[in-house]
Amino acid sequence: MDGNSSTPRITCAYLNQYVGKLVTVVGKVVQLRGEEATIDADGTIHAFLNREAHLSANNGVQLIGKVNPDLSIKVLSSIDLGQGVDYNLANAVVEVTHRYKPLFLYEN
Amino acid sequence: MAGYGGYGGGDAGGFMAGSQQGGSQAGGSKYADESLRPVTIKQLLDWEDTYPGAEPAIDGHPVTQVTIVGQVRSVKPQPTNITYRIDDGTGAIDVKKWVDSEAQGEGETGSGAGAIGPDAFVRVWGRLKNLGGKKHIGANFIRQIEDFNEVNYHFLEATYVHLFFSKGASAAGGVKQEGGGDNMFVDQGYGAGAGGGAGPGGGNSAMQARLATCSRNAQTICNFINNSPGGTEGVNLHVIAQGTRMNVRDIVNAADELLGQGIIYTTQDDETWAILDY
Repeated sequence: MDGNSSTPRITCAYLNQYVGKLVTVVGKVVQLRGEEATIDADGTIHAFLNREAHLSANNGVQLIGKVNPDLSIKVLSSIDLGQGVDYNLANAVVEVTHRYKPLFLYEN
Repeated sequence: MAGYGGYGGGDAGGFMAGSQQGGSQAGGSKYADESLRPVTIKQLLDWEDTYPGAEPAIDGHPVTQVTIVGQVRSVKPQPTNITYRIDDGTGAIDVKKWVDSEAQGEGETGSGAGAIGPDAFVRVWGRLKNLGGKKHIGANFIRQIEDFNEVNYHFLEATYVHLFFSKGASAAGGVKQEGGGDNMFVDQGYGAGAGGGAGPGGGNSAMQARLATCSRNAQTICNFINNSPGGTEGVNLHVIAQGTRMNVRDIVNAADELLGQGIIYTTQDDETWAILDY
């Protein structure tokens, strides 16, 4: 990945601002169905997983992927975060990311 | 001219304090700058050296030691070092960890650099290096992050430190003020209200940093003077008393404090002050 590109941390509410872009989502796995997953990140997000994904329901997950026009996410990379994820903290970081954008993301 | 004497005293005091905070003008040691600053990778990438060999600075403040967190994207073992590509979602940067040939216990567990593989979350301590326009971090230490929350915690901390340096806000005032109206402290009165507003516009960051160490009263009147149209004429005690609704004795005490810090100086008489801007 090029150095000067960012994968902003977002929650469900920010999806429509990032259609076609790479994003990072931290959320909780609500449901797993084959290569499709439902993630709760301050709202429900549908994610289409890749082959390498090893997620488990009710665990935290960090997804990096591209936002589809229908606001689902095509996952490029996913990592299981286990149980102890503080989702309020993760959401706070998303808010801070968008309040102080110069620290966190390249806009173009 | 009584005012001149006061000016001189304030000026001298100001320089002392300034040299400790800023460090760059003073020819002395730079150990004061050797603090470990949490940053995002984008902050490091955004820094541009204005001349070759310039010291890295973020928010106008020199940075030497930095700490970042991120995910390992690639690992390239080399004869003398291991180069990790670290991505924290804001950008990606190379981190070079020199191989300690004496302690070549390859299978070191836990914190051992050999154990870190792709996709792992890591924390890095090191120095920003700029070789031929290509930046990397010379790592003192890399360790794997066990608790994912440390990643998010780091970003909040980096933001806090950024705001501290750029807005010069104290814990009580500006940081939360800056957040856009959701003020937790209802009864702060004029001082805090002006603090958030005056921070970005008023004075340089070194002054703001010094001001942050002053008492609430001192910050209040400093902000009041800053926002007043007095200019180099200064603002009189009674105008401040009227504007801030503080009592005269508190103002005089706070003004003494600011004089000692070299933030303000007396102008026409001993009860009229202006901001010392340099």
